[in-house]
Amino acid sequence: MLDFDLTVNGRRYPVRAEPRKLLSDVLREDCRLTGTHVGCEHGVCGACTVLVDGKPSRACLIYAVQMQDHEITTIEAVAKDGKLTPLQQALHEVHGLQCGFCTAGIVITFEAYLRENPRPTEEQVREVLAGNLCRCTGYHNIVKAILRVANERRDAQA
Amino acid sequence: MRRPKLRHIGAPIPRKEDLRFLTGRGRYVDDIEIPGALHACFVRSPHPHARILSIGMEAAKKSPGVVDIYTGKDLAQWTTPLRMAPPIEGLHPVEMTTLPIDKVRFHGDPVACVIATSRYLAEDAAELVEVDYEPLPAAANLEQALAEGAPKVDESLASNLVSVQRFATGDVQKQKREAFKVVESAFHQGRMTHLPIETRGLAAVWDEGRQHLTVHIGNQVPHPYRSQVAARMRLSESQVTIASPDVGGGFGQKIALYREELTVCAASRQLKRPVRWREDRMENLMAASHAREDSVRTRAAVTKEGRLLGLELEILEDFGAYCFYPANYLARVVAMILTGPYKVRDYAFEVKVALTNKCGNGPMRAPMAITSWVIEGTMDAIARELRLDPLEVRRLNMVETRELPYTMPTGEVIADITPRETLEAAVKAIDYAGFRRRQAAARQEGRHLGLGLCSVVESTTYGSRFYKAAGIPGSGHEAAWLRIEPSGAVNASVGLGATGQGYETAFAQVVADGLGVEPSQVRMQLGNTDVAPYGMGSRGARGGTAGGTAIFLAAREANEKVLAIAAQMLGFDSAEGLHLVDGRIEREILGERVKTDLTLAQVARTAYLDPTALPKGIAPGLDFSKTYDPPPMTYSNAAHACEVELDAETGALKILRYVVAEDCGTVLNPFVVEGQQHGAIAMGLSGALLEHMRYDEHGNNITGSLADYLVATATDLPGFEVIPMHTPSRGNPVGIKGMAEGGVMGAIGVIASAVNDALAPFGVVAERQPLSPDYLLSLLRQT
Repeated sequence: MLDFDLTVNGRRYPVRAEPRKLLSDVLREDCRLTGTHVGCEHGVCGACTVLVDGKPSRACLIYAVQMQDHEITTIEAVAKDGKLTPLQQALHEVHGLQCGFCTAGIVITFEAYLRENPRPTEEQVREVLAGNLCRCTGYHNIVKAILRVANERRDAQA
Repeated sequence: MRRPKLRHIGAPIPRKEDLRFLTGRGRYVDDIEIPGALHACFVRSPHPHARILSIGMEAAKKSPGVVDIYTGKDLAQWTTPLRMAPPIEGLHPVEMTTLPIDKVRFHGDPVACVIATSRYLAEDAAELVEVDYEPLPAAANLEQALAEGAPKVDESLASNLVSVQRFATGDVQKQKREAFKVVESAFHQGRMTHLPIETRGLAAVWDEGRQHLTVHIGNQVPHPYRSQVAARMRLSESQVTIASPDVGGGFGQKIALYREELTVCAASRQLKRPVRWREDRMENLMAASHAREDSVRTRAAVTKEGRLLGLELEILEDFGAYCFYPANYLARVVAMILTGPYKVRDYAFEVKVALTNKCGNGPMRAPMAITSWVIEGTMDAIARELRLDPLEVRRLNMVETRELPYTMPTGEVIADITPRETLEAAVKAIDYAGFRRRQAAARQEGRHLGLGLCSVVESTTYGSRFYKAAGIPGSGHEAAWLRIEPSGAVNASVGLGATGQGYETAFAQVVADGLGVEPSQVRMQLGNTDVAPYGMGSRGARGGTAGGTAIFLAAREANEKVLAIAAQMLGFDSAEGLHLVDGRIEREILGERVKTDLTLAQVARTAYLDPTALPKGIAPGLDFSKTYDPPPMTYSNAAHACEVELDAETGALKILRYVVAEDCGTVLNPFVVEGQQHGAIAMGLSGALLEHMRYDEHGNNITGSLADYLVATATDLPGFEVIPMHTPSRGNPVGIKGMAEGGVMGAIGVIASAVNDALAPFGVVAERQPLSPDYLLSLLRQT
């Protein structure tokens, strides 16, 4: 067992865990942030995606102990003061989620992606979204929601 | 029954469920914190087929954190076996213990369960359990399973052929003799798995004081599941609560009581402590439940013009090693409804199901998925062999609107469907007429386009009379309750387990119209067997028709009582001309609606807290329960059309356009319905293009990760163009027909149709799915 601190969503969490404990498990069990879901534990499905220093990363492929001195952001910190972000709002309005299990990973991935790439094409959106598996929606409405946010930003800037 | 004007049913209301999912505050099984819970991990067979000689647990028991280890012999004392023996002709009864005792039957079969203080420690110890096996020859595929002297998967059976059923009506042989031509086609669908992103898992909490078991588990059918758990643990149904929280996808995988789940329940009772289990993805792929894997052949006797005179069908299904369902259950429906919208009188089928040394099969979204591929592929084959236009062959054979209701040769009755209308709409939308020109022009440039068509008649909702007629024990009814609380708040429930279908929203819309309140005022309480009424759960596409109607009936009854009380409170003799609209009583005077001052909240207060003020003969409270048994079968329909481009160099396929025209009757919420259509098409395309659960010739599973078992990502799928053409059903008071599986059926069929159209110049026919680049290249190399 090791004792170390993690910074998650701007808060420090003292953690006592084995060095082999995955970041996904520590977030869920030790930090009690269960919004990060575990779908495959081998880095394919993307459900466990969190931000590490602002970059989307698979929490199931990282040991928590490696994350000392890094800033982690999870889905719980995306909506500020209970207000949905434009992406979350768009996913709600165009029915971009069904069972909701993969949703956190998709929101996290595209909050970061849209910051860097505010005007993606549909092809680019699909390329990035290919890193997240969704078994319910067929991706159609997820793509639609992401493009809506991108277009709204374009309109706002025009 | 008086039907109110629909104001909320059919409205595109974004889902109530979304907020918690979008903010990471859903509550899936693993999100439920249970102090002191132990963790289970299963030791699984590395052999496809082997005798268990001994299980050495000494080293494992000394491993840190281990509490105990259980084997099949332990479970046999605490639980009863599963006997699958419905009185169905041609189906052999089979039985399985909770965990195997003498032998394992597939690669991944569980042989022991380690209970430890953490999942990590349980997994460590599982590696130290030493099982001594005597490997046996395996039946790794249908050919091996049905060969002379094949190893028997289930030694209680005479052979691996667990079910054989035949049916014939009319005289197909005569039609074949007299036909212009007999067109033969073959269809091979690969083995797949449901792959919900949330794997199986549960938390079992035994309360020794109350002698009560609470099972937190994502499940589609909470009440039938409770019946199973209680019976197999020799508990009463009042000693078991199934609490199904948010569920990360089911698709048919979360219906059966699996052996691992029963083991965890028994372990909790034995240890008098909570025990939880979450399978990993490899276990989910190898050992949860598989689906499909059918080999199908049709022989169609046709006239020179392509008119279908007689049809023969043979299905051979690979069911895996264990029967969690009657083995004929999936394939037989295909045979029952095969002819769909096409007219034919002379029909015969033979359905054979065999056991093999693979993971057991179960229903996966559209258990009858192959149906539309087979009948539409047969239509394409007729057109190909007679050099006719495939659209004209379909038009020639399709039932006319005036001929409805039409009785299929199996006796199934289709009514209130619109196959011609949807077909023509899809054909128009995809520009069938213009396509042939574009296709010819593209071929000049060496590009290979293909256009596919696929009509779907989807059996959505099975009533009890269907089951009775098919000799299957079980019911097709659904149950609902509705309570208006003293404040006027409305709670309602139904026996369906939600796995993403938006029940909390769509059914609130049903209550809203049935009762006369705003949908936002209605809270659906789902998934807990102590709260919800005993219903048959969420499977097939029955939720809307069976569940929606049950809820609607409860809401109408509530409306009647509310208005009776309101009449007295307003000083009228009868409720005639009174309406409840968005929580307020309105009065109809000379055809005009006038709002009164009376609200539902005031009526509710009177009903609960001032019963002496109630009209004579009206009992206190506002509490209603209804059950509803739908007609024997409800059908909806759709027509799919898609355009593909085949790269003849690489075998790669690109879907250029995908159109579906759909009639699913009254729509409760168009967002939800369209989302279900997208999801079903995606699952169909994913299966048809990529998914393949593979075993080697010895029976070893070689698809244990998501790098091996491929599913469609956003770059594999097109956008979907959905054309709504809904006409209400007359079979139930709301007019619902149901949907959510037909998209799978249509996608599988339409992509095959399109690929074969693209392959036409090469003179080869794709008869297998998945339509992988490898497979398509192997066909192209034959030319």
